[in-house]
Formats: sequence, C-alpha cells, structure tokens
Amino acid sequence: MQTNLQKNIKRQAPNKKPKRLFSMNQKEEFQGYIFIAPWVIGFLIFTAGPLLFSLYGSFTNFNITSSLSFIGLDNYKRMFTNDGLMWTSLWNTLYYVAISVPLTTAGAVLLAVLLNQNVPGTRLFRTIYYLPAVLSGVGVYLLWMQLLSPSSGLVNTLLSWVGIEGPSWLSDPAWTKPALIFMKLWSLGGGMLLYLASLQGVSKSLYEAAEIDGANVFRKFFHITLPMITPIIFFDLVTSFIGGFQIFQEAYVMSDSGNGGPANSLLFYNLHMWNKAFEVFDMGYAMAMSWILFIIILVLTVINLKLAPRWVHYDGEDRK
Amino acid sequence: MSTIVHKENTVVQKKSSYFQSVTFKKRMVKTIVMVILILGSLLILSPIWWMVATSVKSMKEVMSYPPTFLPKEWHWDNYIQAIQSAPFARYTMNTLFITVFVVIGNVLSNSFIAYGFAKIPFKGRNVLFAIVLATMMIPGFVTLVPQYVLYAKLGWLNTYLPLIVPAFFGSAFNIFLLRQFFLTIPNELIEAAKIDGASHFFIWWKIFIPLAMPAIATVAIFSFNGAWNDFLGPLLFINDETMYTLQLGLQVFKGQNATQWNLLMAGSLMVLLPVIILFFIFQRYFIEGMNLTAGSKG
Amino acid sequence: MKAATKSIKLLLSLILSLTLLLTACSSNGGQGADSDKNSEGKVVIDFWTFWGSEIRRPVIEKIIQDFNNSQDKIEVKHTYLPFGDIWTKNLASIAAGKPADVIINDINQVAHRAQNNQNTNLSKYMEKDPEVKDRFFPELYKASLYKGEPYALPFNTDTRMLFYNKDMFKEVGLDPNKPPATWEELEEYGKKLDIKNGKNYDRIGYLPNYKMGAEVWMINADGKSYWDYKKEKPIIDDPSNIEALTWFKDYYDYYGSNVINKFQAEFGEETADPFISGKLAMTTETTNFFTKIRDYGEDINFGIAPLPAKEPGKSQTSWGGGFVAEIPKGAEHPDEAWEFLKYLTDVQAQEHWAVKGFDNVANIEASKKAAENPEFSEDGKMVYTASVKNLEETIITPVPLQAPDFTNLINPELEKVLLGKQSPKEGLKKAQRAVEQLVKNNK
Repeated sequence: MQTNLQKNIKRQAPNKKPKRLFSMNQKEEFQGYIFIAPWVIGFLIFTAGPLLFSLYGSFTNFNITSSLSFIGLDNYKRMFTNDGLMWTSLWNTLYYVAISVPLTTAGAVLLAVLLNQNVPGTRLFRTIYYLPAVLSGVGVYLLWMQLLSPSSGLVNTLLSWVGIEGPSWLSDPAWTKPALIFMKLWSLGGGMLLYLASLQGVSKSLYEAAEIDGANVFRKFFHITLPMITPIIFFDLVTSFIGGFQIFQEAYVMSDSGNGGPANSLLFYNLHMWNKAFEVFDMGYAMAMSWILFIIILVLTVINLKLAPRWVHYDGEDRK
Repeated sequence: MSTIVHKENTVVQKKSSYFQSVTFKKRMVKTIVMVILILGSLLILSPIWWMVATSVKSMKEVMSYPPTFLPKEWHWDNYIQAIQSAPFARYTMNTLFITVFVVIGNVLSNSFIAYGFAKIPFKGRNVLFAIVLATMMIPGFVTLVPQYVLYAKLGWLNTYLPLIVPAFFGSAFNIFLLRQFFLTIPNELIEAAKIDGASHFFIWWKIFIPLAMPAIATVAIFSFNGAWNDFLGPLLFINDETMYTLQLGLQVFKGQNATQWNLLMAGSLMVLLPVIILFFIFQRYFIEGMNLTAGSKG
Repeated sequence: MKAATKSIKLLLSLILSLTLLLTACSSNGGQGADSDKNSEGKVVIDFWTFWGSEIRRPVIEKIIQDFNNSQDKIEVKHTYLPFGDIWTKNLASIAAGKPADVIINDINQVAHRAQNNQNTNLSKYMEKDPEVKDRFFPELYKASLYKGEPYALPFNTDTRMLFYNKDMFKEVGLDPNKPPATWEELEEYGKKLDIKNGKNYDRIGYLPNYKMGAEVWMINADGKSYWDYKKEKPIIDDPSNIEALTWFKDYYDYYGSNVINKFQAEFGEETADPFISGKLAMTTETTNFFTKIRDYGEDINFGIAPLPAKEPGKSQTSWGGGFVAEIPKGAEHPDEAWEFLKYLTDVQAQEHWAVKGFDNVANIEASKKAAENPEFSEDGKMVYTASVKNLEETIITPVPLQAPDFTNLINPELEKVLLGKQSPKEGLKKAQRAVEQLVKNNK
C-alpha cells in the first residue's frame, strides 16, 4: 500500500506546478484527517482505554474485581511452560481456521456467482441463501445439535438416503470440528452478500467483449469475474482469519457443559481464555492469552497484506 | 468451439444458427444454475423447516422419540403464547429504536471514514489503517470489563447510549469493507470532479455513496442484522426490564431445567421475519446496472 | 459547490438532532438506575435472578411481592437476566462499582467468589441473627462458607435419584416395588430390561454415562469426591475411586461407546427424553425430573429410589448442587439486602418456592412442610418426600480454591478411559498428577 501511494504521488507531481502542489497537498491532507476524525475520536474515547488496560492487565494478576498487582511476565511464562490445554486449544483453533476459511471463502464466491446469473426467482433464492446468516446466536447452535443427532438427526437422515452412514458428529472427537465447519458452510449468506455486492461492480461490457471472443463460462469466471472481485476476496480472507481465530460461542454452546469436550476436541483458544477469565477469574492470564492471539493474527494479517499486491486488483489505483 | 466453426461452414443460414447456439448454451447454463440453486435451497431450508415444525408442536411431541418431521398436531396458538410470554411489543419498539440509529450511524460514519482511508493521501494513513485492522484482532471479552467500567464512568449504564453512540464513530469491519469497495472506483472520477470545483465532501456524498450503493446496502444489512440480534450489549448495559430488547426477551423460554423449545422456535421465527423482509426489499440495490464503475467505463 | 455545503449542513443538523435525541433518552433512562428511594420513601434494592420463564417468574415475583407488603422500609425490584450471562454481568458490574443488591448465584463457587472479593461477608449480620444458620441443610450451609464465615445463604438445591419404570419391571418379571439397591443389582436388572434389535437396542435398562457420569458413582462409593476439603488436596486416584471407575467402565463397555455416544447425542439436548419415550427403563436424574414425567409423559407408572450403593449396607450418597442468594461486593444497600436474604430463605418463601416450582429448597423445615403440602399429587408427594430424605445423604462439591478449574484436567482423562485409550487406574493417576501440578502452580 505504501508503495502504491508513493507511486501515485510521484506520478502526479511533475504534472502540477510546484507552488500550488504544496498548498494543495496540505489542504488535501487536512481533509483526509477530517474524514478519518470520527474514527480517531471514537477510538480514543471507546477503544484505546480498554485496549491499553488489557495490555497492562496481562502483566498483572487482575481478577476482575480486586487484585491488580504487577507480576511481570509471569502470565506469559505460565502460558508457554505450564498450560498444556493452551496448546491443545491453539491446535484446535488452527485446524478450524485452516479448513473453514478457504472452504467458506470459495463457497461464498461460487454461491454469489450462481446467484448473479439472473435466473427466474433470483430475489427469492438470494433471500433463502441469506436466511441462515440472519439466524444467529445460541438458538441456531441448539438447533444444529438436534440436526446433528446420530440416528434421528436431519443430517444423518439425509446422508442415509444416499447410502452413507453418518458419524456421531458431536460426540466423536474426530468429527466435532468437521461438524462445526459443516454448520459454518450452511450460513455462507453473509459472505455471499459481500461478493454479490462486489459483482455488481463488474462491468457487463467486459463479459460481452469476452463472449465475442468466444470465451466459455470458466474462462470468463477466471479471467474477468475473479480478478474483479479480488479486493473483496482479500477483505473476506483477512476478516475470516480474524473471525476464525476468535471462534467461541459455537463451541461454548455445543460442547459438553461448555468445556470444549468431548476429549477437548472443541476447546478453542477463546473458549480456554473464557474459562480462565470468567470461571477461574484469572483475567490477567486471559489478557495475556489475548495478546498472544493478537500477535498470531497480526503476523498472519501482515503476510496477507504483503502478498496482496501480487493478486489483488484495484480498478481505482493506477497500477502498471 | 470447433463445432461452431464447423457449423458456420456447413449450414447455409450462418448468422441465425450462430445465435441459436449461443442462446442455447446460455439456456443450458441457466438451467444447470437453476437446478443447483433449487437443490441447494432445499438443503438450506431443511434446518429452517425443522424450526418451523418444532414451533407448532406441543411440548409432549417435542419430548417424544423419534422426532417427527411433520408435526402430528399443528399448534398455531404456540405463536400467541410466545408473544404473551413477555412484553414483546415493547421489546420490538426498543430494538427498532436502537437498530435504526445503529444503521444510520454505521452507514454515515463508515462510508465517511472509509473514503478518507481509500481516496485521500495523508501522512500516517497506512499506520492508522493498520491500527483500524488491529482493533479487530483483540478478543472482545478481555476488553468487556474495562469497557463496562468506562460506560459506568460516563454515566451511560441503563441507557441505549453504549449501544448506539459507538456506531457513529465507525467500526473496523465496515471501514475496511467500504475502503475495499471505494478503492475499486477509479481516481479519474475524483480528478474530474475536482476540476469542476467539487470538494471531497461533495464527492463522498454525491458520487461515492450513490456509486457504491450495493456496498452501502451491504453495510446497512449487516448493521441491521447485528443490532437486531445483539445479545451481549443490551444484556450488559441495560438494567431495566422495560428497556430490554427482543434477543433478551427470547431468553425467557430457556429455563434452568426445561427449555420450551416450541415457544423458543416460534419466538425466534417471529424475530427473524422483519430482517428477512428488509433483506428482500434491500435487494433492489443488488441488481445489475447499479454498477460501481459503469459510469467511468466507456 | 453549493450543493456540497447544503448536504454538509443537512448532515450536521441530522447528527446534531440525533445527539439531542440521544441525550434526551439517556436522561430519561438514567432516573430509574440511580434513585435510592422510591416515592414512598422506601429504599429500593435491586434483585437479579435468572428466573424469567413462565414457570419460575410468577413464583419468585409472588415472594418479592409478599416481602414488599410485609414491611414499609424496603422495596425489592426484580430484574431477570438470562442464565449464565447473569454472572458475567455481575462481574462487570462489581468491577464498575454498581452491582445489584442481591443476586442468585452458583453454590459451588461461593468461597471462590469470596476469595476474589465478589461477595459480601455476612458474619456481622449472622451475629445479629444467629438462628438463621440453623435453618439450612448443614451440607448447603457449609458450602456457603469461606474461611469459616458465611458469604451467601443457600436458596435451592437438587439431588440425584434413580427413577425406574414399574411397568417394565413387571414385564420382565422384576418386583416393581424393589428397585436395585446395589451396583450389582443395578447392572443385573439393567441387562434384564434391555431389548436388543440386531446391533442396536430398542430399549436399554440403564445406561451408564447418560446424564450422570462416573464422578457421581465415585462419590456414591465412599461419600467423597475428587477433593479432600480438610487437607486441601486432590484425592482423585484413591482406591475407592479407581474401583468405582473400573466398575463403571466395565458396565460402559457392555454397551460400548458406539451405542452410548449415539444414545447420548440423540437425547443430549433436552428435547426428546428417553425415559419418557420408553427407551430407557431406569435413569438417574435430579428430582425435578418428575415435572417432565408429569407434564410430558403418557401415564408412566414410575418409582423413585436413592442411588444404589456399592455394596449392601454401604452408603447411598448422592450428589447435588444448587443456588445461593448473596450480596455482591460493593452493593449500595447491604443492610436492606440482608433483610431480604433472611426473608428469601425463611420458611414461608421457601415453602412457596418448593411447592409452586417443584424444587428442592435449602430450608429444612420448609422442605418437610412442602412434602406434606396438599397441592402435590400422590406421585408428587412420593417424589418430594423421597427427595427430602435423600438430601440428608447428598453432598455438594464446591470448587477447590487451590484449583478452581480442575475438572478441565480430569474430564479429558476420564473420556480417554471410556474410549479405552488408558486403564481407569492410569487415567485417574494422570489426572491426579495434573491436578497436583495445577495446585502447585496456583500457589
């Protein structure tokens, strides 16, 4: 991003008179600050304080209600040397993210493309596919627990029609995470909506031109559709990574007594953190955990950002 | 493709057969898409059917085994009973009040901020944008307690302010989303408008918002959905039951020992309905022709 | 340019009017929260519960109304908050210095909360009203102490008992008035009551690990749980626990984890119930389960009995839990709150709760009176009487202060035992070592 920006400025520079450019740029900069001012103000008032507090808290024995003494790196030390469950939870979370993010992203793109084909009843179809995204919260997870019942649940009943004997999803440690991913795939609607919005920006003339060249469906998809929606794919990937690492409520509701069972297979990082914070009142430790998670996500996001210029195509930026 | 060429050479009425084959192909594609969409819809809808079926069963039937796919008796009165279990009319008004402000706040603030990040170069832009992204990466519940304390200090407890006001200062997710959309809008558009003497405010309000309508609609839908379904916010900040929202109201069906599944499902479906209707209406912004870049592309 | 300024003006006025509106509604809403006294000069105290269902809410609100009418100094204002989340909010509000005056909370964590400064020490009130502590089942009162001082008053409780289907007993030639009294009998009767259908079961006599896991049987065996509360150390791998788990595991293997897991997942989410649908002949549940049989069953001819003992003549200890009423730390009106606490746990309120909600209560006298209450049906009376008797042999297992989350370490080991990945002895030894390590770290 930095380089693009610099390029832009450099390219503009020779075209304008030096004197005016300076004042123009200053005025422009000032306006830029005005535009982002609401966020800066909101950040300073509502977010920065709690964030800094949680950073400080991670070096203390904060228990939410009384103690808040500085204990240095103790929480961090304990995490890496003395908490086996932390590693289990990290592994579970990585497993979940690595499989669910690519699947849901690809699924949402495909769904959006299908729903952008102008077939009869498009509006109805879009509403139907968006429905699961509207349903949220505990009720949905309880619903899915019923649907995933081994012999009377809907999922295994459907599977049995095509001759597959479904697993005991939520009670078999090997199948709990796939069950959750399966459930996530059901509610692709949110991602679908993003891509649908972005597909409206793909000019029809591009397709028409391609058709005249005799391009088939797949060529059109890979050479026109896909490049044009890369900014949103990029957005979806970054936010899904962030969201995926923070998976919590699904496991909290759907695992045995909210503890991440069976056999810790649903003990995700945030669930472990929640237990530490609100069951044991070891909030300082939970805050330390959250900052380690922050670093993990940050590294992945930076990698994502660094790779982005290679494949993300912004129509609005003047790129080579 | 070779077959088309072949046909073109052999058939006398070159042009019409060429068109015929294209329309035929298009029809084929549409039929396949249609079949996939219908099959997929059935898959998507079957869990929802389960909700509907449960919502009209008697508790006796809910408790029986094996579960029935078609209710034996249809107890539509469950819906009436569900509505009467809590002051839902009041909760609906409360929820609507919050939601309307949150949607307005989100659409205005986020598009405004995102425009700044996407289209105006200024010093420190990338660093600030990195901080925007970073705020998403800290799990909410470690900041939950300090945030609560903050709102308590501001005297905002038991008001809707903690739920509404932050929406007017942008949220990382929406800023990022709209920034991505704005980046796809060509800079020439801005340059052209500037030559005509337009300010950035004008360009944002009169050019970018209309051009990015599908994206704005997406933010509006997400915000509506988020505020409508928000559970933790109202739970934490509201102490007065008359100020409760729908999601809190739905909790009354979940008991300590026994959940009233039929009423819970009936209530959930009713709460869902406005969101569905809204989505159905908002879809007019997702029709082709609402092109982001159509204006600029020749 | 003109259009631009116009639109900005429009926008600004919009935002301004919004702010005005918001401040207006904030000042409206603020009134209720900070007022200490109502119009009649009574002190208003906030009471948070998770009893919002159509069954519970009227019962608790009647008790509150009775209290409000019984005196002219205090008015209790009830707020319903969803189960579980109520305690998250409690924590945040204590941290912010604006908690409720009375809250219903989990009995197993009273001392743990006291240690973390979340509730109010009641001993100064208790000295004034020393008779209060004698009204409770001793085990429950004990669970609300921290360093020997009370931090809460027990409100309601539960106990696990054996429900069995008398008609099924008759059907296979068992005496319907002689429920299994020992583990051996439980297993024997259970297997007799099975109806097998190929690989699967159409009916199961008794299913180990359904609703009640091995830990309760370990308690049942010697009246002790995983923790020695006197010596403050884990006793997870003591011989009695190993024996109990070995028995449990053998019985479990008779059906195999495949059958049991399926069954558990099938009936796990409190919708369909196997006992009520005739898929299970015996089940171990809290006594409140009776209301489900009553409301959703089709004339089930059932009996109730204490949990079978390990051997004839041995203890029939059961396991229970419950909720307490306490004053969060920093509450504005602790004195008035204490008055309400006393009322909540006194005979009248407790009996009302017991009868209307069919729930076990902490007050002994109220429990005994409720058992005689004419409002109960014949079955109701039978179950309630049995449950009150059972409470005398029910133990509570508060979380140990030295290792509050120790079950997170034990449960996975138990699961591995049941999956056959390690022997009961190995599993419990490993759990013991892990918990010992945790205790050491927490020191």
